Formats: sequence, structure tokens, C-alpha cells
Amino acid sequence: MDETPKGISVGSVGNRVYVRVVGRGTFQNSQPLRKFALEKIDQGQEEFIVDLGQCQGMDSTFLGVLAGIGLRLRQTGRASTVHVINISPRNLELLQTLGLDRLFAINSDTSQLPAEPDCRKLADTDLTQVTHPLDKDETTDLMIEAHDNLVRADERNASRFKELARFLRDAVERRRKNGDGEK
Amino acid sequence: MKDFRIDREPRGSVQLIRLSGSLDMYSFPRLEEQLNTIFQEKQYYVVLDCRDLDYIGSAGLGALIGFAKQAREHNGDVRLLNVPDRIYKIIELLGFTKVLQVHNTEEDAVASFQAR
Repeated sequence: MDETPKGISVGSVGNRVYVRVVGRGTFQNSQPLRKFALEKIDQGQEEFIVDLGQCQGMDSTFLGVLAGIGLRLRQTGRASTVHVINISPRNLELLQTLGLDRLFAINSDTSQLPAEPDCRKLADTDLTQVTHPLDKDETTDLMIEAHDNLVRADERNASRFKELARFLRDAVERRRKNGDGEK
Repeated sequence: MKDFRIDREPRGSVQLIRLSGSLDMYSFPRLEEQLNTIFQEKQYYVVLDCRDLDYIGSAGLGALIGFAKQAREHNGDVRLLNVPDRIYKIIELLGFTKVLQVHNTEEDAVASFQAR
């Protein structure tokens, strides 16, 4: 039985950032990764290596956060990219379905990539041991941004996620009308 | 991770669909196909029994709202039954319970259509 702790672990060396996903990547554990990645990009780090070798599955929000990392790197104008390594056929199919295989570099040959640096687990990314409850508004905003990223990456995703996008935008509209929201 | 399974058990005019395993982007097309088949048969009273569901992704929830809307256009609905606590907490937090009816017993879920 695999005893690797579940969650998202990160580390960096030079201008490379390493991300390892164990278990599922979902809207419940995407926010810590998003915050970490944006901080690293702002610090000038240019390359992300995402190891999905132990990733059991990803939902659209998590994939949208990964897409956001790829799009943000592309915006920097540097020769930056997201390398996805050790991906299972099932997860690869998901990436292909959403057109993300064109945004990321899918590396089946990892021999040219640097060794994994020391990694630390991001807090609240093990879905079985989350210490802080999700914030409704923050989660809704995250999901909207993530699905916008998927559409920016491949416009065919607009029709795929239209019902979810409509629902989420209606929720934001209700929040605006009700002032502080419905927490 | 359990394999995703769908079992259809009609209860009169109500189509009871038992789901087990993970309803994610990979498995959702199977449910989508099942629901499209049911709608093609002009059956619009649908109950999804989630007792053995161990995961549901964000896109799946969004798509269920779309199917509920389609059913409502024909005076029907797609309703949820036996949603496990851990999943209920999430769908309630995100407000999905405002647009998808959730029932705790099969009798209630089936009767909710008969009372229309």
C-alpha cells in the first residue's frame, strides 16, 4: 500500500519550481497552490515541473489553476513553461480533453529534468486533514478564475463549463446584491 | 479508488439512478449519456442516489444543474438523494443546494414528484 502522505508538496531550486500532487487535486486544495505559484512567478521563477505520478485525479478547478500558472508564465514573455511529468493515461486524457496539452509541456522522458529538490507540503492540501474550512466567497472566486483560465486556454471549454460558470456568476451577483454575502 | 458505477432502477415514473465511486470529469460522460438516454425516453423525473458516491467534482455539479434545468423545461427535475455528509457540506457551501433539491430517503425523493 502506498503510504506517501496526500496533498500538494512544493520546492524550488534556481529558477525552477517543483510541484508534486499526491491524491486528488480539486477545488478544495487548489487555493494554496495558486497562491504559492503566483508568488513564485512574481519572484521571477520561470519553470514549473508538476509531478502527477501519484495524482489520482483532478477536477476542472484544479486544472484551471494549473492553466492559470501556464498562462501567467506565458504572459511574462520569458521562455517559461509548465512541464507535466509522470502523468497517467487517464489524467493525460483529461488534459487533452480540455486542450491543456497544448499549454503545458508533457514530458514522458524525465531524464533531462533536474532532480527533485527538498519539498514541503502546502498547508490544507491533504483533503483528509484540512484544518481551515473553505471560505465560500474565496472558493467561488477561485472557481470562476480557474474556469476562465480554461476558456482562455481553449475556447471550446466555454460551452463545456457554461452551466457552472453561470451558476458561479449568479452566486457572485447575489453576493453583491446582499452586501457582504450569504456566509 | 472505487470504479464508477451507474445503476438505473425505475420507480414508477421516477427514474432512480444509483451512483457509486467517483463522479469526476473522467466518469461524468457516462452519467451524461445515461441522463440523455432518459430524457430521450421523455422521462424527466430523475433521482440520483449518491449514498455510495465518494467524490463529485466541480464541473460535474455544474453539469447537473444544466440537466435539472432541461428536466424542469418538461415539468420534471433532477434531484439528489442520500448525499454523504462530506459532499453535502461542500455543495451547501457553494450554494448548489439552492438549485438542486436534496432528499434523505428514497420514499421522500420519489414522493416529491408524485406530489406535483
